[in-house]
Amino acid sequence: MSYYFAIIGTQDNPLFEYEFGTSKQGGDGMARFTEQARQLNQFIIHSSLDIVEEVQWTNGQMYLKLVDRFFTSYISCFLTASNIKFLLLHQPPSSSSSSSALPHPSSSASASTPSLISSSHHHPPSSTSVIPSLSTLTGGSNSSTSTLTGGTSRTSTSIAANPTSPQTEEAIRNFFAEVYENYVKAIMSPFYRTNMEIRSPVFRARVAAAGRKYL
Amino acid sequence: MANDEPPSPEAQPTTPVRERRTNPSAASLFRSTLTPPGSRSGSPAPMGSPARSLTGSVFGSGGFKQSLLDTAAAENPGDPLNLVLKSFVPHIAIHDSEDVEHLVKEKGFKGGLFELLRPFGERVQGRVTIRDSNGASRTWDDFSVRFTRFGEAVEDPDTLPDPRSLRGPPPNGQPQYNMPRKKTSLVQQVEQVVEKHLGFAEEASMGAATPTTPTRQGLDTDTTSPYYALYLRRLLSGIPMASHETFSHPVACVIAISSRHPAPIEALRQLYSETTPAEQRIPPWVDGDFLRYYVLVHDEERSDITKSMQLFDQMKRHFGLHCHLLRIRSSQAAETDDDSIPLPRSDWMSASEELADIERSEQLQDSFDDDPHLFNRYIFESDATAIRTFIREMVIQSIIPTMERNVSLWNDQVASRRRGISGRFMSLSKRFTVFGSSSSSSRSSTSSSNNGFETLGYYRPDTPEAIMRRLADFAFMLRDWKLAMSTYDLLRTDFQNDKAWKYHASANEMAALSLLIMPQTMSSKNRVEIINPMVEQALYSYHTRCSSLYGAVRSTLLSLDLLRLRGGIGIDESVRWGTRLLEMRLLGPVGDALLRERLAVCYASKRGTGSQLWGSRRRKSAMWSVLAAQAWVSMGKYLQAQKCLADARRMYSLLPSEWGVQGFNGASECLAGLNEAVREGLRVTREEGEGEEGLGLGLQFDESSNLTIRPKADDQTTASTDHNNAQTEVDVDVDVEQSGFNGQSSQLPSRPPQIPTPTASSKSPTPETTRGGDEQPEGFEDATPTSGPSSGHSPTRPRKASMAVRTSRVLSSADLEPAAPLPPLIPARLASTSGRDENKSKDGKDGGFG
Repeated sequence: MSYYFAIIGTQDNPLFEYEFGTSKQGGDGMARFTEQARQLNQFIIHSSLDIVEEVQWTNGQMYLKLVDRFFTSYISCFLTASNIKFLLLHQPPSSSSSSSALPHPSSSASASTPSLISSSHHHPPSSTSVIPSLSTLTGGSNSSTSTLTGGTSRTSTSIAANPTSPQTEEAIRNFFAEVYENYVKAIMSPFYRTNMEIRSPVFRARVAAAGRKYL
Repeated sequence: MANDEPPSPEAQPTTPVRERRTNPSAASLFRSTLTPPGSRSGSPAPMGSPARSLTGSVFGSGGFKQSLLDTAAAENPGDPLNLVLKSFVPHIAIHDSEDVEHLVKEKGFKGGLFELLRPFGERVQGRVTIRDSNGASRTWDDFSVRFTRFGEAVEDPDTLPDPRSLRGPPPNGQPQYNMPRKKTSLVQQVEQVVEKHLGFAEEASMGAATPTTPTRQGLDTDTTSPYYALYLRRLLSGIPMASHETFSHPVACVIAISSRHPAPIEALRQLYSETTPAEQRIPPWVDGDFLRYYVLVHDEERSDITKSMQLFDQMKRHFGLHCHLLRIRSSQAAETDDDSIPLPRSDWMSASEELADIERSEQLQDSFDDDPHLFNRYIFESDATAIRTFIREMVIQSIIPTMERNVSLWNDQVASRRRGISGRFMSLSKRFTVFGSSSSSSRSSTSSSNNGFETLGYYRPDTPEAIMRRLADFAFMLRDWKLAMSTYDLLRTDFQNDKAWKYHASANEMAALSLLIMPQTMSSKNRVEIINPMVEQALYSYHTRCSSLYGAVRSTLLSLDLLRLRGGIGIDESVRWGTRLLEMRLLGPVGDALLRERLAVCYASKRGTGSQLWGSRRRKSAMWSVLAAQAWVSMGKYLQAQKCLADARRMYSLLPSEWGVQGFNGASECLAGLNEAVREGLRVTREEGEGEEGLGLGLQFDESSNLTIRPKADDQTTASTDHNNAQTEVDVDVDVEQSGFNGQSSQLPSRPPQIPTPTASSKSPTPETTRGGDEQPEGFEDATPTSGPSSGHSPTRPRKASMAVRTSRVLSSADLEPAAPLPPLIPARLASTSGRDENKSKDGKDGGFG
């Protein structure tokens, strides 16, 4: 499971971004995103703001739970006061989720979603080769990461295996709660203005700690 | 028109560009995508007003109350709803004698009467009144019929639900009906056609003074992208004569002889007997009991009208009222004739036909043997009037009454029996053979052997299931959605019990479509909950159970688009189906990219509420546009990619926030990389075109120097646009400006160097603008993404300027690293000859992470 956590300001601007991997079940806490996936993640997070803006009116809670899904990426949201949003993108572990995520999202999706594997046998195999996805074109760095991921593919934990389970929901709630506490402390700094990027190393360390603790 | 030619799926190597560009007849082949769909003069369809009143409110209640047909989308040619209405129409087979073929050939139509009539069937003249099953009549302006050749376009046997079905008919020595000689599937052919169109647009754009492709209707949700419309149309125009649906089964058959025939009545009898099922020219699952319509084609120039009238009277005596005397001239009409009008090409030719046409035109250009009459044909005004009258008369007086009669007959005799109590009981007892009583088991066994599906693999046309299916299809074609819906609904369970999966899939598909079209007083949520399982079942049955790619793609695409029109919650659902289709990877590369574009349109058509437009999906729409641009770039279709990027930029600029997605480093780098790839790709294709004419070197220097000068005038912070800074920068500096969201203060001074550049770049080629070919780069320069936002509709808004600055800044980092103006061009050029993909990888790397 790889996570991408972002705090989004009122102008759709990221105030804080942090990527990490799961630390449960012997995970090393490193994110398994490629460059392409990183870029795509930002698009996904940004686009799910649309959903957040709709869901926030249906719910009195600050924690909006799972709001959006883009192929294998799931987005949970936590609203704070003053319209700053915490968004967490989580991607269940799979061999291909990190290898080819961006240009052809379906490629990663069909390979990684177990229920679709059976159905994907019928496809003309040519379509794979016809679409030269940008990720395959970027060459060396990509293949190295994919082999790396393949070597360290972990057994699925309860949180990582299904992102929609109540356990995952609860874990993310705890994570958000702890981050929120630290966030409030961080923005109480007299030098902080609204929509300013949060650069405090202490805050970053605490977010990392929360990630290690809960996810 | 090209049915007599075997469609060879292998594309010919493309002809040299210059010839193609100068050939107007080839351009006519691609007419459907070169002009926006609404403005096609040749299309017999009426032009609908694009104003659409359907607003799906976001927070709940959707526009589910009215029928979709009452929206303007139904009249907008090219809109998927209109395509649905125009594609599931009565099919009329044409069976003509040798002498008719001969006569029509003299007029210049090699395909016989079929080819002459086909364009006119796309729009039946005048209004057509249809009575529904309740006796209420409604008038339609845009009724159409489809002409087919008798016994053609029968579905391939290997895609039949059951291979046993071919062994079913006893005298099965050789099936006499023509199997289409195709090696590729229908979906692949459609892909190829659209690809050809795209390629043509790409090549045509480089030489022409003005861009021939429309700069797109924006993310205007009312107009469909011409390529997507083409994709759907080709997908729907070749509905094969399959066993599981009767849309392409002939509703009527036109039996035609000419006045030249020596023994006309005998010839008609002979032709009639050829259309009976005993002759094996139609597959056994087609009901042979369709209407026969007898036509006497009178040659105005060589035959005697009194004789023909006599013969016509004789025909009426022999064959009843379904007769017509069609008076046409036998000589060929030339463009210069006073009363000649151009005959439009059929909008509904199948993909294989169009492929064959395109290939033929390419071959013609190779041999420099250009036949102007091949693709631009003319017909006398009087002939056109005669044919229109004939078709109108046939449809109004014969076909529709026959269909109405059949519908009410079948409804009374078969369907209503099933709808009643006893019918339900029958189906119940059929289902639960577990009761074990001998009577019920024997009944179930007899009923299953009755319909014969188990042994034959298809339902014989006289079984109740087949009749009900035909009833439902007829009702659908006559636009009696309610009856169609209820009948399909009955059939769904029947077919499921029989495990007739393809039938089941098709019934589900059509049930969903008719439910989507018809008005209902259900809340949108309920409705979606009913429709979704239907689409799901259709997709699952088509794809997993029958591995019918065509069915799966068609059902999902159509439901997707109709759901989109429903607005509100339907839009989210439609996108869900779209992503599902992408996930399953059923489409080829072209279809995939088109679908991504479509999803962007879907999201864009969701309206928000309030001043902030909460509930709209503009960010999502923009993201799908970016994804589509990526797909197009990877295919080397830079024009389309450019349009998608412009769409994305427009969408981002509409956001209430100041920054769009540009606050995100990685995302903006990705955008910049795409921009660069598109710019590079367009430049390369342009140079190819100009290189052939031996010009353009100076221009290319101009452009590249522009590109490199611009970043130098820009600020020097390019080094800090590193994607890693999110993880590495932990210091609490105050240099907020440097890397991100709040950088407007430092970038504002850098805007002045940005603004002059468009004028500089447009000035630099001006000494050469006397040549026609050089104005094109300027057009592109205006449309290229960097200058796009600033030349958008409201150029004074600050965030657009800042977006442009930001883009150019990242561009600069991509361009500065090669350092010299020329190097980025050379590999691109080499790559363009070997294969564009490597070119792109280079671009992606440079632009993305440089």
